[in-house]
Amino acid sequence: MLWIAIAALPLYLLGIWKRPFLYVGLVPQAGYLLFRGVALGRLPLVGPHDTLTFLSAAIVAFTIPFYVLLKKPLFFRSTAVLSAVLTAFALMAKQHNTPLPPVLDTVWFELHVVLAFFSYALFGIGAIIGLTCLRERDTLGEGLQYRTILVGYCCFSFSMIFGGVWAYLAWGTYWLWTPKELWTSILWLFYSLYLHARLQSRWAGKPSVIVGMAGFAVVLFTYLGVSLLMKSSHTF
Amino acid sequence: MLKGLIKLLASLKMSLWLLLSLLFLLLAGAFIMPLRAEFQAIHSLPLFQWVTRQPLSATWWLWAAIGVVSLLAANTLFCSLDSLMRKKTVTQWLMLISPQIIHIGFLFVLLAHLMSAIAGFKGVAVVHEGTVLQLPDRSALQVRTIAMSLDPNGYLRDWAVDVSYGEAGRIVGEDRLMPNRPSFREGIGIYVKDLRALPDKAVLLEISREPGAPWALIGGVIFMIGTVTLLILRMKREAKNEGAPSIL
Repeated sequence: MLWIAIAALPLYLLGIWKRPFLYVGLVPQAGYLLFRGVALGRLPLVGPHDTLTFLSAAIVAFTIPFYVLLKKPLFFRSTAVLSAVLTAFALMAKQHNTPLPPVLDTVWFELHVVLAFFSYALFGIGAIIGLTCLRERDTLGEGLQYRTILVGYCCFSFSMIFGGVWAYLAWGTYWLWTPKELWTSILWLFYSLYLHARLQSRWAGKPSVIVGMAGFAVVLFTYLGVSLLMKSSHTF
Repeated sequence: MLKGLIKLLASLKMSLWLLLSLLFLLLAGAFIMPLRAEFQAIHSLPLFQWVTRQPLSATWWLWAAIGVVSLLAANTLFCSLDSLMRKKTVTQWLMLISPQIIHIGFLFVLLAHLMSAIAGFKGVAVVHEGTVLQLPDRSALQVRTIAMSLDPNGYLRDWAVDVSYGEAGRIVGEDRLMPNRPSFREGIGIYVKDLRALPDKAVLLEISREPGAPWALIGGVIFMIGTVTLLILRMKREAKNEGAPSIL
């Protein structure tokens, strides 16, 4: 079944050259996730292999509305590069084919994880829009970056709330003092800061675009850095 | 002077500085926590009890974060009140009220953390079938049966722990604990944290009280309502300002 996931990689790489390949690549990747979910009988979102694949597919899927809104080749090229890199790392990562532990078998966990990765994908797209804005000196994209990040922020906040409900039912507390939870709070505070700073005129334009881009570095560390390097309830 | 203080507390500039300070304090904490052994016991006591017993060299960032969060709570409250008082004549009252709803949700979550940090309770015990424990309200908890089912590869597939509550020597209630389904009694939650099948069936039970939990849930729901409302309104406004079609 892995060959379906592998097929997405060259298509994403071709997407750097021609935009339609990016969306053709999404078909096998989404199909792989679907097949994997059916085969395992659970949401395929456990471990870096699954989550990187899901993140890559979500990034590409969320750029579909931008096909009309943002006709910038650089945006789609950057998306293709990011998705290809994430897919390559996903293919290198070990698959977790074990059944879901009973404590993870709940809709709260599913909502928590799915929304978290939707938000990561939207924050990633926000960073790419920012990059496109800066490279092409386009100020109109700043509003689009803001809207993308705002939707991502909502998803992320909801993910935290659902995660809290799940943690309370599973472990008796809605908050744990671990590095992952602290980094999650740092990420939430960072984007809260971005959304509030943008209300001030001095932050509008380029500074806001740069902050929106920097947020994705925090996303990557929160997702991969903390999970791989620090001991927490979310360790891979 | 008081007017100046209120003005400062209600300013957006203050919010930005507080958010930035909190961000850096949590960043420091995220690196200090794994290096200091004291933090391994952080969940054993309510936060305020735990933090007062630890050396300042390990917890300075936590103290500072508590201070900044307190200021942020005041800032959020004053900012919302100021915003509502200034804009008395508004055409889109939803646009005005939705950020304040989000702020109220945030304040509820902070209140929840405060309540749990002051009055939370936690205790753990390894119990077997037949073990009787005394709960904080002096009633008794008996573990009656522990059932586990494993899949052919030996992975735990499901489990259930039957318990009964007793008072003055008689059974007053029964319940079944399952994954993500704890048992609640008089504000106390009974949780199964771990299970062991061999050499004899045993479970690690946690008995905890999180007085902030209902407030956190209320805060979360309020926050979500405010966020969705604001999101829809902002998306429409931003798209209108740019003359671009809304992606919603």
